[in-house]
Amino acid sequence: MLQKVIAFKNTKCECGHQNPVGTVLCESCGKPLDEEEQNSKEVLEMRYDGMARRSQRANPNIIDRIWNFFASVKIAVYMIILTLLGSMLGTIFPQENTFLNIDPSTYYKETYGTWGLIYYKLGLTHTYESWWFILLLVMIGASLVICSLDRVLPLYRALSKQQILKHMQFLTRQRVVYQGKIEGDAEEWVKQAAVPMKKKGYRVHTDGNALLAEKYRFSRWGPYVIHIGLIIFLLAVLARGLPGLKMDQHIAFPEGEIKHIPNTSYYLKNEKFTVEFYSEEDMPEEFRNQGKVLPKLFNTKATLYHCTADCDDPTKEPKLEAVARHDIQVNDPLDYKGLKAYQFDYDLTPVLRSVSPSLVDAKTGKELGKFKLDIKNPQRNYTAGDYSLELKEKYNDFGLDENGRPVTKTPNPNAPAFLFLIKGPNLPASGMQYIYFPKQIDKERFQQDAINEKMNGGTPPLMLDVKGMENVDFSMSTTYLNIRVDKVMPFIWVGAAIVMIGLVLGFYWQHRRIWLRIDDGVLTLGAHTNKNWFGIRREISAILKKMNLDVDEKSLDNGGKHA
Amino acid sequence: MGNSKKKLMQIVILLLIVIVGGYAIVTQVSGSGGKPTEGSKAPGFQLLGLDGKTHTLDEYKGKAIVLNFWGTWCEPCVKEMPALQAQWEKWKDQGVVVVGINAGEDKMAVENFVNNVNVDFPVLLDPDKDSIASYGISPLPTTFFVSKSGRINKIHLGQLDLATLDKQIEELVKS
Repeated sequence: MLQKVIAFKNTKCECGHQNPVGTVLCESCGKPLDEEEQNSKEVLEMRYDGMARRSQRANPNIIDRIWNFFASVKIAVYMIILTLLGSMLGTIFPQENTFLNIDPSTYYKETYGTWGLIYYKLGLTHTYESWWFILLLVMIGASLVICSLDRVLPLYRALSKQQILKHMQFLTRQRVVYQGKIEGDAEEWVKQAAVPMKKKGYRVHTDGNALLAEKYRFSRWGPYVIHIGLIIFLLAVLARGLPGLKMDQHIAFPEGEIKHIPNTSYYLKNEKFTVEFYSEEDMPEEFRNQGKVLPKLFNTKATLYHCTADCDDPTKEPKLEAVARHDIQVNDPLDYKGLKAYQFDYDLTPVLRSVSPSLVDAKTGKELGKFKLDIKNPQRNYTAGDYSLELKEKYNDFGLDENGRPVTKTPNPNAPAFLFLIKGPNLPASGMQYIYFPKQIDKERFQQDAINEKMNGGTPPLMLDVKGMENVDFSMSTTYLNIRVDKVMPFIWVGAAIVMIGLVLGFYWQHRRIWLRIDDGVLTLGAHTNKNWFGIRREISAILKKMNLDVDEKSLDNGGKHA
Repeated sequence: MGNSKKKLMQIVILLLIVIVGGYAIVTQVSGSGGKPTEGSKAPGFQLLGLDGKTHTLDEYKGKAIVLNFWGTWCEPCVKEMPALQAQWEKWKDQGVVVVGINAGEDKMAVENFVNNVNVDFPVLLDPDKDSIASYGISPLPTTFFVSKSGRINKIHLGQLDLATLDKQIEELVKS
C-alpha cells in the first residue's frame, strides 16, 4: 500500500497530469519527472518520447515478469547472439540432410573420426531441426512481438495526443534550441510562423502563444514494420516443418515407366531421356585428349500425371490424367502448381524391359508361336501357337546358393531367368520344363542349354529364341529428378518485402518536430528529430529567416550526441 | 485501455506464442529424419497382400504385431522365415500377428517364394517401397515389434533366431 502511495506521488507532474510508473518526461507538458533530472542541464533523453514502456510497472506478477523478460532488448540481443553461435556449430561438419543416402550413426565416425562421433552424438548433425535451435527461433519471435507491442502502443498514444504548450525545461533541453526576443504581438507572430513551416511540409498546430510543427511521423513506425516482416519471415521458416508444405526428394525414373511420386497424388513418366556430350573440339583445352566425356545437355521429356481415382487402393490401378508436359533440363524444371521437378542426374545403363521370344522346334527350326514376356511383371500363363506355357519360377538376378539351388541374388533384374512348364502336342502329359535367360550373356554364363538338357534328360524338343532385335525392348536410360515442393517461399518473400518497406520508411524519412512558445516577447524554440540533425537545423534557420530572424545553423546546436 | 483488458491481452499473446512455438518445436523434432524409433508410434501403411486384398496397420489394432521387412534375395531373411512361421503358429491365438512386408519385389517372385518355404502368415507387397521409406529401413531383414497400442516396442536389425523371437514376443505381449 505504501509503495503505491509513493508511486502515485512520484508520477504526478506539476502541470497536474498523472503519469504511469516509469515515465521519464511528463506525458503532457514534457517536464522531466525525476528530481535529479529536473536540476540537470543536460540534453533530454527523448527515447519513446519519455513514455513509460508497457513492461514498466509497480509490483510485477508472474505474467508481467515473463512479459518483461521478452520485452527486454538486452535479452533479445543475447538470444540473437546465441542463435548465431548455434548456427555456426551446424556448419562444422555437413548436415545429415545434405546427403542422399547415408547411415548417420556410422557415417560421421567413419568420415571424421572421434570428433565426428561426438558431433553426431550431440545431435549437431541436424542442428537446424533440433529442439533448442527451434526454441531459440521461437523465443526471438516472441521477443520481436513483445518488444514491439511494449513500445509501439505507448509511442502511438504519446504521438497521437501531443500537448502543444510544453514546459520551458522541455524546450531548452532539446538538442536544437533557439531563444531570442521578437517584435510585435505573440499570437500574430505564431500565426505568421506557421506559413513557412507549412510550406516545408510541416503539419502545424497552434495554441495561443505556442506552436507544434511536425512532419514524417510515419517514419517512426519503420522499425515496427520491419518487425512485422521478420515475424512473417520467422513463421514461414517454422511452417516448413508442417506436413505438405515442403518436400525435397530424389527419385529415379526409368525411361518409359510411369512412377508414383511418394506422398503426393502425382505420377511422372520419363518419356525419353537424352544426353548430349561435348565433342573433342568443343571441350576446353585442359580436358582435351584425356578421354574425358563431358555432358553438354541433359533433357528429360517428362509427363506429369495427376491421380483422379483409386489412388490409395493397391488392388486397383490408379486412374491418371496427364496435367503437364515439359522438357526438363538443368535449371529449367517442370513446374506444376508449386511441384517442381529438377534434372539431377542420369544413368545410361540400358535395362531390359521386355522380350518377345518365339517357341521353336529344336530339330526343324520351325517357329511355332510367339509371346511377349514382361521382365518386371510377367504373367503366369502364356500361349504360343498350340502350346501353353506356365511360368513356374522367376529369378531377377539368377544365381545358385550354397546348396546349388537357384536363387535370386538381388532384387534388381541384372540376370533375369524364367522357368516355364510347357505343355502341348508331342510333349509328355506332365509337360516339359524349360529355363529361359533372355540375355545372351546369361545364357552362356549359366549354360542354359546344359540345364535344360539335365532337366529333360536329353536335348529338349522345343526351345525359346528371340529372333532379331526388334523383339527386344530396352529402357535405354534412367533419369534422376529432384522433386521439390515449397509452398512457404511466397511467405518468405512477403516477409522480406515488408522488412524492406520498413527499412525504407525508417531510413529515408525522419520524424521532425518543432515546438515553440512566446513568453513576454521572448521566443523559445526546441526541436527534435531522430537523425539528420543537420537537416532540421537548416530547415529551422530558413524558417526563422522568413520571420526576419537571422540565425546561424550551427548556433542552434545545443550539444548532445551527434548523429 | 483498462488494466484488466491489458492483462488479458498479455495472457492471450503469451498463450499464442506458447501454442505456435510448441507446435513448431514438436513438429520439427518429431519430423526430423522421419525415422520411427523405439517408443514412437508405428507409421501406418496400406499395402496389397498376397491374398489380393488391401491391408492396413489399423486392421491389426488391438493385436501385438511382429512386422518383418524382408526380400527373397536376402539370405538372412530367408533363414529366419521358419522361425517366424513357427512363432506365428505358436502365438496367433494369443493376440499376436506376424506380418511380412516384402521390399519392392513383384508378386510372382514373392508368391513362388512363399509357397516354397511354406509360410502362411500375412505377406504384403510394397512395390514402390513406400513403407520401407516411412519405416526408414536400411538393412534387411528388419523386424519391428509393435505393441497393442501401436507403439514400437523394439526394433531388431538382422536375422532373428527362434529363441530371441520367442523372448521378444513374450515381452511384447506383456507390455
